[in-house]
Amino acid sequence: MFKNILFATTSSALCNDASDVAFEIARKHNSNLYIFYVFGFPSRGFGPVTDFKTGEAKYCDQAHVDKVKEEIKKTYADKLTKLGDYVIETRAGVPHTEILRFARKKDIDLIIMGPHTRDEKEGLKYKSTLGSTMQDVAQKARCPVMIVTRPVPKEKLEFSNIVFGTDFSKASDAAFLFAYNVAKTSGSNLYLFHALDVSPRAGSAIRSQNEIEKNLGEVKEKIKDVYVNRMEDFDNYQIETLEGIPYMEIIKFARGKDADLIIMAHHSKETDQDQEKALLGSTLEQVVIRSSCPVVSINRHKKE
Amino acid sequence: MYEFVSGPLALISFAVFFVGIIARIVWYVKGLDWRLDRVAYTEKLGDGIKGAVKSLFYWLLPLNRTTAKHPIFMAVTYLFHICLVAAPIFLLAHVVLIEESWNISWITIPDKLTDYMTLVVIAAGIFFLIRRLVDPNVRILTTASDYIVLAIAIAPFITGYIAYHQLELGAGYKTWLIIHILCGEIMLIAIPFTKLSHFVLSFCSRIQIGMDYGIKRGGAKGRGIAW
Amino acid sequence: MAQEAKNQDLPPLVTRKPVKTKEELDLLLADKGIRYYEDMKTFPVDKEALKKNLATTCKSRIRTWLEICAHCSLCADTCFFYLANDNDPKQIPSYKIQSTLGELVKRKGDVDTDFMINCMDTAWGKCTCCNRCGMYCPHGIDMGVMFGYLRGVCFSQGFVPHEMKIGSGMHWIYNAQMDVTVTDFVETCEWMAEENEDYYLGLTIPVDKPNADIMYTINAREVKHYPQDIAEAAILFHIAGENWTVPSKGWEETSLSMFAGDWAGCKNQVEWVYEAMNRLKPNRMVVTECGHAHRATIIEGPYWAGIKTGQTPSPSIHYVEWVLEALETGKLKLDPAKKIKEPVTLQDPCNYIRNGGLCDVTRKIMSYIAEDFREMSPNREHNFCCGGGGGLNGIGRYREQRNIGLKVKRDQILATGAKFVVSACHNCWDAIRDLEEVYEIGIKWSFLKPILLDMVIIPDHIKPKEEE
Repeated sequence: MFKNILFATTSSALCNDASDVAFEIARKHNSNLYIFYVFGFPSRGFGPVTDFKTGEAKYCDQAHVDKVKEEIKKTYADKLTKLGDYVIETRAGVPHTEILRFARKKDIDLIIMGPHTRDEKEGLKYKSTLGSTMQDVAQKARCPVMIVTRPVPKEKLEFSNIVFGTDFSKASDAAFLFAYNVAKTSGSNLYLFHALDVSPRAGSAIRSQNEIEKNLGEVKEKIKDVYVNRMEDFDNYQIETLEGIPYMEIIKFARGKDADLIIMAHHSKETDQDQEKALLGSTLEQVVIRSSCPVVSINRHKKE
Repeated sequence: MYEFVSGPLALISFAVFFVGIIARIVWYVKGLDWRLDRVAYTEKLGDGIKGAVKSLFYWLLPLNRTTAKHPIFMAVTYLFHICLVAAPIFLLAHVVLIEESWNISWITIPDKLTDYMTLVVIAAGIFFLIRRLVDPNVRILTTASDYIVLAIAIAPFITGYIAYHQLELGAGYKTWLIIHILCGEIMLIAIPFTKLSHFVLSFCSRIQIGMDYGIKRGGAKGRGIAW
Repeated sequence: MAQEAKNQDLPPLVTRKPVKTKEELDLLLADKGIRYYEDMKTFPVDKEALKKNLATTCKSRIRTWLEICAHCSLCADTCFFYLANDNDPKQIPSYKIQSTLGELVKRKGDVDTDFMINCMDTAWGKCTCCNRCGMYCPHGIDMGVMFGYLRGVCFSQGFVPHEMKIGSGMHWIYNAQMDVTVTDFVETCEWMAEENEDYYLGLTIPVDKPNADIMYTINAREVKHYPQDIAEAAILFHIAGENWTVPSKGWEETSLSMFAGDWAGCKNQVEWVYEAMNRLKPNRMVVTECGHAHRATIIEGPYWAGIKTGQTPSPSIHYVEWVLEALETGKLKLDPAKKIKEPVTLQDPCNYIRNGGLCDVTRKIMSYIAEDFREMSPNREHNFCCGGGGGLNGIGRYREQRNIGLKVKRDQILATGAKFVVSACHNCWDAIRDLEEVYEIGIKWSFLKPILLDMVIIPDHIKPKEEE
């Protein structure tokens, strides 16, 4: 399932929780783990590279590459000893571009990363880098992207409770297949969840509670129709719907169910088209920031 | 002495002047190389001529941005050049001399006017001189030859003015006249060999840059060259 | 002729030949310019070769320019370096060229190493070959052209900035300004098509399709760092319904060789592109939003390749020309409601405005995309260089001087009151980015493609179908 895992690190404390998860999953699944570090962008042709972390300009020569690799090795020393196959890879460039390029080339099955927080300044500079590295990777990757922002106890990586949040989009379809797959292999409880958006932004008229409840009923039927029918003999699932602001409802629901993993589609349109909304952040980004468990974003079916 | 400077020496200097400037033009045109200059002079001659005409038009007339930006300097420059060329060519005394020697003549302008024109040339020359001495931008560019060339250009006018008005400045009329003729001849001879060659080469250069823009640098696109 | 003793056993870094092997290139890259400039200080001038070079290549046009210059200083305030350096007379274009190439020609090449280093520092560090001074000289003396020539002379003697030597080498080795191979390019195209095909139905990036209407060529930086630029171009071509292709070989239209003065390299590079034209026979070539690339491949290139008409084998246009055509013919329809509302200004890149005549094209495009378009002053053919042209953006040795030069563009932008700069040129785009980094005036900037993509109306048959 996770033959090749890419752990995109900034090699800072920001990625500590993500690294724990990455190493543990790689160990459990006996995966090839690529520890991937992007130096940053050359400030001028053939010149030094501005490190995104420190802001320092350094030439990305072999000595520097070796030094950074050594640092990464040192940072993760005790975790790496327990690991089978791992490779440390570095690149110079725009982080999300290099992560995506590499993931495509190495046929990566899962990208794991920390929050890689939004860099406001860079966002202003180049429209296509608007938003964080995380957002860009999540939006464009062909494979699932797991984002870890808080510490995860080891036992929670058994994924006993999985929440799959859907908006019935095509991307959600891909997310469902992944959720189903993980639930089946890990023997988890799978919650098929939809939040009915009743926030003032979503619709013009305020709906009556009767209407909302009617809608919720319809959604439940739809979940049965679209997803349940495709789960062969797997019956460890529950269908849940709630009304509210979607990201809030997902967070509250996941907390209530002591979820170990949230899986949802990245609503790329939200971030791409509408700049104002993009600045507020997509549902996914909000979930990522607030969730206490890892979140997996899937945007598309894996290219076969 | 007078006979010599106004006779054979005049002939020699005119010969040197004409042969010289023709040689400079020939040398210039022959030195143009479509590959080295990266301009398809002959292949795109039509665009080239259009560009050249435009380039000449906007610069022979004060219709360029440089004139707008430096109106005083450019006004002095235009006046200086007009007077410098027109005054000696259309001065009655010169035309009469030429008619006597070679039996050709052309229209003349009144002495009063050429007199003013001479003063304009001299005044402009002084303006250039002061500018060269005072303005740090010009000073850093200035070489000894700039002063010499300026002197060569102004000398015939100063001496001509003295001779015409028969001013007794340490020498008699005859002497000043000889000096004046000599100065004129020095200028004629100097033109092909010094910076004064811009007398013709400036036209060559303007035509070339006009062709360059007209042929390849977008002169044929949009609204053409915006000098 | 001996190098300094301490470097005797090390392979030479400063040479009079272009770098043509990967080993030499790696050596140069690893050096970071440290030993390179150290060695240069003692690198001898080959006076005989220099004399011969001047005799055969410095012909009447340049000699006349050098000779008839009236030393009038009218070119002083046409140069942004002069203005940015508080009217320093040493920055007057005429002074800069007379004290370098002028002396060189006068002395028939009998000059020493220090003189050549000064020539290098002037030709790359004090001139971006923007050709603005030539527009203002009453004699029509184009000092930008002469500095371009001087760069070639310096290159042939080995006196060339470190990054320019590398750049020229890159072109020899990779046929691209960076270490991007044909495989990298094709893979990136496939990747970008994959990444976007779900959002734009039927999107492909056709490689090596013969007889297409458009052959699109790009800047290696797009492959290396901004692949989304390729994607955006593809999406816009797709929306416009163009029959287009990219050549697997011949895709790189930029030329650091031109900036370096490596004329043989220039020829080699453009011939690669022209071969693609001859192979694929497109109706025309469109080059990406890059200024010097347009200059190199379309304006100067045919001459390097020895094409007498001065025209590329297939007719070639700049990306902005294609955009305007697509807007005017309705191939691209923009949503007028999405026009940029805030004040926006436009950078005129020297290499296709002053030296390419396309100023009306970009302005017409602005009328489609901006509600409050504000001109810089001066503008069009008379606009100032962004401050990073001619390769200057890339050279570490002149970084400080470059940053000083940026002040002119900074003040021009500030005077418009706009906080958004449209820059359809890689070099200008970089300079404006750096300008913001250095002076922090709170502006943003963009190529045309992302702006157009935000506004374009996507035809229904391209929109992805969501199963509801």
